[in-house]
Order: sequence, then structure tokens, then C-alpha cells
Amino acid sequence: MSPLLQFVEDRLQIAALLFMASVYVIRVLWLFHFRAVRERAAAEGRASAGAGYSLSNIARPWAMESTRTRPLFYLQFVVFHLGVTAAIAATFIIPYAPQWLAPRGRVITFQALMAAAFVVAVFRLVRRLRRPVLQLVSTPDDYAAITLMMAYFILGILAVPNRPDRGEGPMIAFFILTAFFLVVVPFSKISHYLYYPFTRIILGRTLGRRGVLPVRRPRSRQTAEERGEEVGA
Amino acid sequence: MKTVKAAKSLSVENLPLDVATQDKARADALPSIQKDMLRTYDPAADNVRRFLDLLAERITRPVAASLAACVHCGLCVESCHYALTHPDDPTMTPVYKADQIRKIFKRRIDWTGRIFPWWVKAGTPRGDEDLNRLKNIVFGTCSACRRCTLNCPMGVDTAILIRFTRGLLTELGIVPEGVFNVSRDEWETGNQMAVTPLDFLETLQWMRDDLRADPKLAGLDIPVDLPGCDFMYTINPREIKFDPRSIAQAAKIFHLAGEKWTLPSAGWDQTNFGLFSGDDRLGGALARNLYEAAIRLRAGRIVISECGHGYRSTRWEGYNWAQYDQDLPSESVVRTLQRYLREKRIRVDKTKNDLPVTFHDSCNVARSGGMTEEPRDVLRRVCADFREMTPNRTENYCCTGGGGLLSMAEYRPLRMEAAAIKARQLEATGAKLVCTICHNCVDGLNDVIKHYKLDMRVVQVLELVENALVY
Repeated sequence: MSPLLQFVEDRLQIAALLFMASVYVIRVLWLFHFRAVRERAAAEGRASAGAGYSLSNIARPWAMESTRTRPLFYLQFVVFHLGVTAAIAATFIIPYAPQWLAPRGRVITFQALMAAAFVVAVFRLVRRLRRPVLQLVSTPDDYAAITLMMAYFILGILAVPNRPDRGEGPMIAFFILTAFFLVVVPFSKISHYLYYPFTRIILGRTLGRRGVLPVRRPRSRQTAEERGEEVGA
Repeated sequence: MKTVKAAKSLSVENLPLDVATQDKARADALPSIQKDMLRTYDPAADNVRRFLDLLAERITRPVAASLAACVHCGLCVESCHYALTHPDDPTMTPVYKADQIRKIFKRRIDWTGRIFPWWVKAGTPRGDEDLNRLKNIVFGTCSACRRCTLNCPMGVDTAILIRFTRGLLTELGIVPEGVFNVSRDEWETGNQMAVTPLDFLETLQWMRDDLRADPKLAGLDIPVDLPGCDFMYTINPREIKFDPRSIAQAAKIFHLAGEKWTLPSAGWDQTNFGLFSGDDRLGGALARNLYEAAIRLRAGRIVISECGHGYRSTRWEGYNWAQYDQDLPSESVVRTLQRYLREKRIRVDKTKNDLPVTFHDSCNVARSGGMTEEPRDVLRRVCADFREMTPNRTENYCCTGGGGLLSMAEYRPLRMEAAAIKARQLEATGAKLVCTICHNCVDGLNDVIKHYKLDMRVVQVLELVENALVY
């Protein structure tokens, strides 16, 4: 392994990670410097139940009409983020636990996840380029994020076999791009995952107190009489 | 829900700012203007600077989080009745509307946009024309129904962004004429329809006398300012001004249930235009009037008549606007009726309501108030043929009159286009009656029914319960 690969795998990553962590701390403090809203009305539901429900929405595609009626879109979301997880995991496994990737099956699994995520990213980019509303609201940041992720998946597929003896180029590129992401992400839309818990918990707590969340499903479509209750006269 | 294409598409973004009534209010030197409570438009002022200062000053954590978190995924698009009825017009989508304030936030407050505005399409309004355009978007193309909020994977609350932006514009007097007029009436008279104390009392007497004509109701009263009651009943001024039958229906039911109740002579208006205009000062002042009236009368609780935004304002938001910790229980009259029925304090015969009835969930009650099952329970007890509309509860579509849009005549044609969704939804039920627990929805649905020539009528829960009474 060349000193350059050693450097980009280890020291560069640690430096970039520290930078990202510092910026994230500042980012969270920045968000917290905005005034919180204290609910003064007596609760009818539990804020914590609402927050929990809201936060776990991500794992319940049936909970929202927007994902319930678009299972393919939700599947794309899952596949894309599994690919992201695999790519990020690879940046730690390759330098610090390379033996974990020794079994060929694991390498292929990682490659398959990133390849599938790449395909989804292509779909998402095409969707963004073709739908008028997405064209209208999309920013260079939106396009850059998806394009860079596509490049990242390709480099990740080439890097996970962890065979510098067959050429270090893709691995060096993968780790340089990782470092670049770590530095740039806090300033780009990719940092949305940082906000996710906050938006979800804030909304969930508010609507949880009011009994909106968790969404109440009717016990039964039966009428009160059908349930055996005495009604009226 | 499939997209329903409107017959035509109307742009409202360039509608002019009408300040005729603002000029008149200034000329009349109204007390609310003298006391700087009601804000008017000043073309000579640096309104953009003021807008940006207010943005920085007022932004809260929920607003900042919702502004920062959007990933432009576009999933909100198909949750919005405006977008669904205008599939070829991307400016009707929630994400576009929210982005109009988001881009200003990014330019002025967020990091990346301050340094590289082009990278995130950040921008600042260039003048009053841009602010007027923003006004037309946030007031004219969104009923703040919160349907997109509940369909956003990120939890972005577009409805609070719309209200936040409305509030900034209200401070500058850059508001639709109707919003100004209602706000003026609320500041000046304490109620949104400028009902005078005499009108209020005379209408109550009239209803009481009508009811007493029934020999079985001879002892009935509509008490005002009676201290120490079980509850203080609060109403919508529309009930006094246009349709007092609902007051009579409530009074009759309360009487038969043996309730000890009262209306206050001041603080009786549970509606609150602060919700729609985004004016927390107005919202707080009105809510405080009501809460303090209940304390003054030593009422056991506050009961809110059928009104969607009134329920949300009085039960939930008003305490925050007024910075007032809730000290008395408050509930919708629907819950009161449910209790009467469950406890058999009133007797009903559901066959008296034999027409097929469907229920329209008010956005403010269902999505922002958490009350979906209570009205259904009541309707199943008092109607022979109750049928759900689809979708329902927190997924129901807005009546299209929400967000104060009924008071903004200039946006009505667009609103009626967007109502195509609601019309299809209503028609599919096959019901002859559509019941709602919101006065705004009554008017909104009536507009839809008339515009789309549907064979149905709007009713409220009180009317159906009263009609089913056996006494």
C-alpha cells in the first residue's frame, strides 16, 4: 500500500471527520439558538408518543399517503440509503477492519447494494431533470448531491474488494471523495439527515400533544349499535 | 387520488395590492391604528428591510428546522389540492410555495446561501412588488390545510411556513383586503364580524323566544354572564350574524341535557383571524379575551361551538399566542354532545335523520386538533345512514375555504378550480348531506356544491342531533 493511499484512508479521513463533527456541533447549536415554542395548552395526547411515531415514520411506509400510494418510490428510498450505508461503512471497514471484507460474499453484497443505489440515483436524477416542479425548485446543490453520490457508488464498488495490489487509483479516489463529502456535506442538502430528527421530533411532539399523532385508526367500522352499545332512546 | 385537471388555470401571483380600506382606516384614525395594533401599508417605507428584520427577529426553531430540512423530493406535490388540480403548473405545489420564503431564509440566515447564494438558489426580495407577489402566493394559493405536512417524509411543516410568512407581511400591511378588513374588525370590536353588543343580545333573545314557543321548552333560557356555570359557551360571529339557528339548536340540547351553561357578553368569539393572518398579537389578544371571560365567570370549562379554526385557535394555539398557561379545560361542543349521548342525558331517534350523511373532517380539527372519532361517534348515534368519504380523517381534503380564503375574494376563481378534488370526493359518497363541524367548511363546501352543481346540502352536527331529539 502506498503512503498516499495510507494517508487518504486514515489521516485524511480522521481530519475530515473531525471537521464534519465540529461543523455539525455548530450546526446543531445554530438550530438551537432559534427560539423554541413552549406549548401552553393542556395536552390530550403524549408528546413523546407523537415524537416516537413521527420519528419512526421512515420505517412505516403505510403511515403516510405519499409513501403508501407509491411503494416503488419508497423502495427506491430504502435501496438508495442502504447503498449510502454500505459506502459509508466501507470507509471504516477498509482501513480499520479489512479482514471483515475478506469473504467474497460480503464484498459482493456491498457491491450489489451500491450498484442498486447507483441505479436508483440515476432514476432520481432523471426524475429531477424531467418533472417540471422539480426542475423549478431544484438547485445546483440538489443536482450536485445526486451526481456526486452516483460517482461515490461507482468508486465504492471498485474500492470494496480492497485490492490495492490491482491498482490503487479507485481506492484513492474513493477516499478522497469521502473526505470531500465529509467537508462539504454540512453545507449541502446531504446534511438533511442531521435535520431529520429535529423536524420529526418537533412536529411529532406538537401533534402528539394534540392527539393527532400517532394517527388514530378507528377501532371498527361498525356502528355503536352493531357493537352492542345502547344508543339514544 | 388521481390528478383532476381544472378547466383552466389562473395565475394569482401578479394580483395588485389593494389598500383602499387601509387608506380609509387611516383616514378614520381608527383606535387600533392609533395604538399601532393594526398595521397598514406604507409605500414610502423600506418594506424589504423591515421584512428581513422581522424574519430574523421572529423565526422560531420549528420554522427554522422546516426551512432548513427540505430536500426537494417533491413528495408533497400530490398531497395538495391546488397541485392536484393544476398538474401542469409547478407553482401550485407546496414545495414551490414554501421555497419562496425558504430562499429568503437561505440568503439571509442559512450559512451556505449567505456565501454562495447561487448554489442553493437563495435570494432577497427586490422591492414591494416581490413582497406583493409573495403575498399572493402565501395567501392566495394555500389554505394551510397541513395535508402536505403530514405527507412530508422529512416532517417539513409547510403550513407553519406559510403562516409565518403571512405574519411578516401582515406587519407590513401587505395583505389581501379581506384579511385587513377582518383583522380591523377583530381589533376594533373583539369579534371578526363587527357584531355589536346589542346585536348579540337581541339575537340571543330572539332565539330564546323562538324556542320558548314550544311548550315543552317553556323554561329554556340562553343565559349571558351567568357566573359559576358548568361551562362557558363560545361561538362564531357567523352564528349571530347569518345563521343563529345553531345557537338555538345548542341551547335546546343544553336545556334538555339539564346543563348549567352561559355565554359571556364579552369574549364570546372563539374564532381568531390571527391564525390565518399569522398575527400572533391579534391571536393572543382575542384568545386572552376569551380565557379571561371564563375565569371572570368562574366557568368550569370552555365549550367551543362548531368551528374548525376556532377550535384550533381556542383549544390549542391561543394559549401560546397569548402566553397564557391553560387554566380551564376546553372542548369542542361535539365532545359535549358525545358525552350527553353516552350518558343518555338526551334521547335521540336516528331514523329522524334518514338521508345518507357523509362527514367532512375540518383540517384544523383533524390534522391540527386531533379530533376525528368524536363527530363520527355522534353521527352514528343520530343518523340512520352514515357513510365515510374517501380519504377521510387526517387524510381528508380541505373544503378549499380554509386558511381565511373565504375572506379573500380575489383568489376565489383559483380556489374553485382547486375545489374539483373536493367535488369529486363529495360526489363519490352518494350522500345527500355532508356534515362538518366547521363554519368555514360550511361556506367552503357550499361554494363547492354550488359551483360543481352537486345534489347535496351542508349540515352541522348540532343540527343533526337537534333533529334527532326525542323529548
